[in-house]
Amino acid sequence: MTHRRTRRALAAALGIAASIALVAGCAGQADEASSASGEDSREGGDIVFLINSLGTSWVPNESSVSSYEGNIWGQITDKLVYVDEEGAVSPWVAESWEQNDDATEFTLHLKEGVTFSDGTALDAEAVVANLDYWAFGDEEKGIIPIGLFPKTYVGAEAVDDTTVKVSFDASTLGFIPTLGYHGSILVSPETLALSKEEQADLSNFSGSGPFVVESWADGDNVVLSKRDDYAWGPEALGRTDAAYLDSITYKLVSEASTRIGALTSGQAQVIYNIQPSELDGLADQGYTIGIPRYLGFTNGYRVNVNAEPFDDALVRQSFQHAIDRQEILDTVYTEDWQAAEGIVQSNVPEASDHSDEFAYDAEQAAELLDEAGWELGPDGVRTKDGETLSVTLYPNPYLTTSSAIDELVSQQLAALGWDVSVQEYDVSTYAEKVSNDENTPLYETTRSFIDVGTVASILTSANNGEDWFGLGESDETLNDLRDRIAQATDTDLRAEAVDELQTYVLEQGLFIPVTQIVQRIYVQSPDLQGVTYNGVAYANYYTAYLED
Amino acid sequence: MNPTYPIYALRRLAQAVVVVLLAYVFTFVVISVLPGDPVSSTLRNPENGFTEEQIAQIVAYYGLDRPVYVQLWESLSRFVVGDFGISLRSSLPVSGTIADALPSTLALAGTALVVAIVLAFAVAYGTQRVPVRYGQGLLRSFPALFLSVPNFVIGLLLLNVFAFQLGLFSVIDPNSGWATFFAAVALGIPVSAQIAEVLITGLDHEAEQEYASVARSRGLGRTRLFFAHLLKPSSLPVVTVVALTVGELLGGALITEAVFGRAGVGSVVQSAVASQDLPVLQAVVSLAAAVFVVVNLIADLVYPLLDPRVSIVPSSPHVARRRRRTADGPPQASGPLAKEQVSAS
Repeated sequence: MTHRRTRRALAAALGIAASIALVAGCAGQADEASSASGEDSREGGDIVFLINSLGTSWVPNESSVSSYEGNIWGQITDKLVYVDEEGAVSPWVAESWEQNDDATEFTLHLKEGVTFSDGTALDAEAVVANLDYWAFGDEEKGIIPIGLFPKTYVGAEAVDDTTVKVSFDASTLGFIPTLGYHGSILVSPETLALSKEEQADLSNFSGSGPFVVESWADGDNVVLSKRDDYAWGPEALGRTDAAYLDSITYKLVSEASTRIGALTSGQAQVIYNIQPSELDGLADQGYTIGIPRYLGFTNGYRVNVNAEPFDDALVRQSFQHAIDRQEILDTVYTEDWQAAEGIVQSNVPEASDHSDEFAYDAEQAAELLDEAGWELGPDGVRTKDGETLSVTLYPNPYLTTSSAIDELVSQQLAALGWDVSVQEYDVSTYAEKVSNDENTPLYETTRSFIDVGTVASILTSANNGEDWFGLGESDETLNDLRDRIAQATDTDLRAEAVDELQTYVLEQGLFIPVTQIVQRIYVQSPDLQGVTYNGVAYANYYTAYLED
Repeated sequence: MNPTYPIYALRRLAQAVVVVLLAYVFTFVVISVLPGDPVSSTLRNPENGFTEEQIAQIVAYYGLDRPVYVQLWESLSRFVVGDFGISLRSSLPVSGTIADALPSTLALAGTALVVAIVLAFAVAYGTQRVPVRYGQGLLRSFPALFLSVPNFVIGLLLLNVFAFQLGLFSVIDPNSGWATFFAAVALGIPVSAQIAEVLITGLDHEAEQEYASVARSRGLGRTRLFFAHLLKPSSLPVVTVVALTVGELLGGALITEAVFGRAGVGSVVQSAVASQDLPVLQAVVSLAAAVFVVVNLIADLVYPLLDPRVSIVPSSPHVARRRRRTADGPPQASGPLAKEQVSAS
């Protein structure tokens, strides 16, 4: 395990270097000068945002849901509706909307006078083009649909310049909220008409957002500048005119300690994605910590019922109670992180508190294993018919805290008589060995969504679903709950079904929640004010300004 | 110059082309053996929520579902006509990605090489000039010290002091003069160690030669002796070492670029490796192979200028190399490079 040791040594060295950076940074001073032009002192100013990756491509459908590019898409594009951190839906480019009784037909009424930065009108035709692009992608160009767009979509038509009629082949209560999903960015039809290679060049991109792309260099930086004639911001943000800031420079700095040093010396105003353990120190120095939670599933393990020993509900239930989530919160995160209350994040409007159903109880966990026939041997490991009670955990390479969590979980399980191993893979190997393998017993999952209706298309194999638990369509109760959620035409009935679903999935030990997820960590200079976060945990700099 | 030189040069050129092509094929095979394909592993990011069907569609678009030999043949035939294809990660033409990254890395590596050579010569000069009691021993330990400090540590220290404390440069504009200079210092320090080591050994050897003693006995000053007599013969193996450090400069650039927030070939390689971006990796490997071959060719051309006794034997480049090295040079140089540099006659 030399490799591991080297990596650990490297991590330690970087940690020391980062502390030096912190101390050194105290001496540095922020030299932000916001040029006060006009009457509003908030006007003007340039900010620098240091990001740890600029992700993959700039083809809108492929990257708008990326944790990296999503930051930039959010500033240069608009959406039809705005969804806030609590999941509340409000008008944006769509001024109002109606739906029929069974939620299969929706009519959107658009704001007038909205234009893309290339001068094209954001009218009904443009919205139809976008809806088709999100739902179907473009097979000929090798462009995929956006994930989580309702698969029930049939088509849309422009009734007149500002009216769009959208049809579905089944009830799709989640359609309107989904329009506020990070994939649903409105793109100029002229950009959509380009080839994939041309779409990948961000300088060809035209959206209708408060900022436009001034310049960019692949894998290095993206410079955005304010669009002066912007006048259609979401009312929910309390502003509809042009942005305050003159420019935002997104710069890739892959080394975390360099990002911290640049922030504390005033070279940058926002840094993205550093380890939770660094946050308290920065908060003490007066930096603003932004750890918005997105609407979606909590962070946890989805259990594959086809992998032994998880075919036994008693074992799954034992597992549910075997994890000390408080210890994980205390060890891996800061006190700003929250315990999971169920399978969905607690800010989802339909969420309800199910904490008791999966509370940590080592005694109960041990009893359940006894009941399942797994007997504790003299070496502290449980066996049954000569088989050892064993499991392998695969930390999610997309989450930096995942391996620390799995180390703790493995200790907690070992105390109960499990034989646990933790196997780490990089992103590409993980895809091959873990995500693609039908026998992976526990798969660490989290997923953002805007609307809880999405849940239905994920849990079973119906409708191209992801079949999270390997049950296919064999579980009647799950199928029934799925259909009630998918086909609901009334939000109250749907919330009831979601509540029942949570109880069922937790009691059956199909999903083992760990914590509420924060996948985007922002640290910003105290000068930068007015930052808001949307329902998918991206910062909006539209309303942000620099204080003198 | 030897009249058979053109034939020799052509042979070397043909060899170079074969080396580059082999590097290309080798990269392809290695990456094809790795599990997974680059496109689907990117798309499988759980946050994307793409179905297997959608992923298969994209994999087919890039032709990654076809047999490996078909992919290799197509990729190779494109490469021969200078087409590097489209990046699997960004969907942008690979040639553009490389062209964007190259200037910054060339500036960094070039400056680092200058820093390394200047530093090496300064240390080597010191070891001949500074008397033992005034710390010559300390100077002699510098190369070992330079080698043992990882360049990211040097980089972070320089960054903290000169960028974050003194504000001489900013990570936002990593291609400015100061930013390039300090990144080059971080990269150049470890590289200078080998150059200094070889040079010191050479100087020590020359200083013991009879002609040096004669010159000293005639009252020649240490400075004159160094520049007029010792430096030139001692520099011969340095040329070989400098040519070999090119690879190290490229490798070190990866780390240095990450620390200093520079976009360059290093960061292109990093993201290409992470996303198994085959077309980009192949372009970079071929480029690196080409640079290495060219630099070594230049080293071979510089040799006769430093020492007229070096001859080019056209019959076999192999022999030419061996003969050339037996012509002159210090009998031993320390370190693993010794065999490469010289062999005593």
